[in-house]
Amino acid sequence: MNNIHNMLAQHIYPVLPPRLVQLLMSLPSRIVQQATEIRIRANQPLQLVMGQQDIIVAEPGQEICQLEGYRCTREDLSRTFQLICKNSVYAFEEQLQQGYLTINGGHRVGLAGQATVFNGAIKTIKNISSLNIRLAREIHGCADRIFPFIMEKKQCYSTLIISPPRCGKTTILRDLIRQMSIGKPALGIAGVQIGLVDERSEIAACQNGIPSVDLGPRIDVLDACPKASGLLMLIRSMAPQVVATDELGRSEDAAAVREALHAGVSVIATAHSKTLEELAERPYIGELLKENFFERYVIVSNRLGPGTIEEVFDCRQQKAIYSGAHEVRVCG
Amino acid sequence: MWLKFIGSLMIVTAGASIGFSLAARYMERPRQIRQLISCLSALKSHINYVAIPLPDALAQCTGGITGPVAELFHAMSDLLASDGALTPHSAMTQALNSIDALVLNRPEREVLSVFSANLGGMNREEQHKSLELVHVQLSRIQYDAERLCEQNVKMYRYLGVCGSLAVVIVLL
Repeated sequence: MNNIHNMLAQHIYPVLPPRLVQLLMSLPSRIVQQATEIRIRANQPLQLVMGQQDIIVAEPGQEICQLEGYRCTREDLSRTFQLICKNSVYAFEEQLQQGYLTINGGHRVGLAGQATVFNGAIKTIKNISSLNIRLAREIHGCADRIFPFIMEKKQCYSTLIISPPRCGKTTILRDLIRQMSIGKPALGIAGVQIGLVDERSEIAACQNGIPSVDLGPRIDVLDACPKASGLLMLIRSMAPQVVATDELGRSEDAAAVREALHAGVSVIATAHSKTLEELAERPYIGELLKENFFERYVIVSNRLGPGTIEEVFDCRQQKAIYSGAHEVRVCG
Repeated sequence: MWLKFIGSLMIVTAGASIGFSLAARYMERPRQIRQLISCLSALKSHINYVAIPLPDALAQCTGGITGPVAELFHAMSDLLASDGALTPHSAMTQALNSIDALVLNRPEREVLSVFSANLGGMNREEQHKSLELVHVQLSRIQYDAERLCEQNVKMYRYLGVCGSLAVVIVLL
């Protein structure tokens, strides 16, 4: 129960203005416990997203869920942005161009505002009008259900975890990496050397290059590095048995995965989509599916809450080897 | 007689020490400006190459440098780290006011003030330009400070000793 409060106190409150911290601290614990996102918009009420629904954070003493809560000011947003950036916009230049920042603890902060475009490319975002703080959670055991389908005594299957946003695939990937790194001595499964390319610093939540979450003893993390170059760099430099990364999508990502698989290294990755069929229609990543580069697909949804395992699909046999139609949620 | 002798000695010692301390100030100023330039060059590398956040960059850019200039950067780093709402400009102003051993004059203080007002709010390219400009400005100030040093150090030392001797002669 204290985990979420500790996490908020350590990572989130230090980047929020005192007024917003006060409002969040006044919320009942049962609500905070379910929070997945904190949304701050200029001249709009402070919102807390809990899975599929959201609430408006009211002034202390008011009933929750009223339409008129505390309205965040532009000053709140600029102060939050300043605290997140630590007065160092240059240090977050590339992230800002992508529209997000990652804070300590691996929490991703999405930004919206006015884009400054130069030669057709986004140079930076100014006049920030919305911030979305997505709370990252470390849930040990949330990959228990899928682990036996991905790791066997002498083999690790290349796996793609598929889900729409906010369904817990990064949380599952994080726990899967941890379990693969540790191994399961009881089942005779030894840990494997894993190279992780953490482009958005969300999985390992590195602080000064060192993971701040438990990822086991056999992990090498390339933090804040583009996936495509990072995957190949890790294969050449660290000789991993498995490489892992988050959110494949671009053509260079698909090319790097191809090269990794041809180099005899297993790949664990995630991608945004609802179903396999929809993913197959996406450019670049869809080609990897059609050419059967992956051996396992794990479909995740939030039907029963974030982290619901819908299906584990075996690509070789072309059939589901696990169905979660009657299962309960495993994380989130 | 002894009283006169001791009194004269005290006047000469006081005059000489005033002269020497003023001379030391002229000698110290170019040294501190040189150190400032070194720290700012290191800061430029930490911003452009490593892109580490400002509180860490300011703490690390003083490598190999000790004394008031290193203290200035460390004080600024501590202020920014302890209070995230503080701007680099306010942190620089507070740090400059808190370190008494700094012998920086108005021109270099103004350069630092303008520089800190533009620090941290822009991308690496712009920070690079800003630091280049500061480097050029401080180099000019350093040149002037060295010329002043050459002119004034001997003068203040002689003035201190000779002036006090003159006072002693007049009094005797």
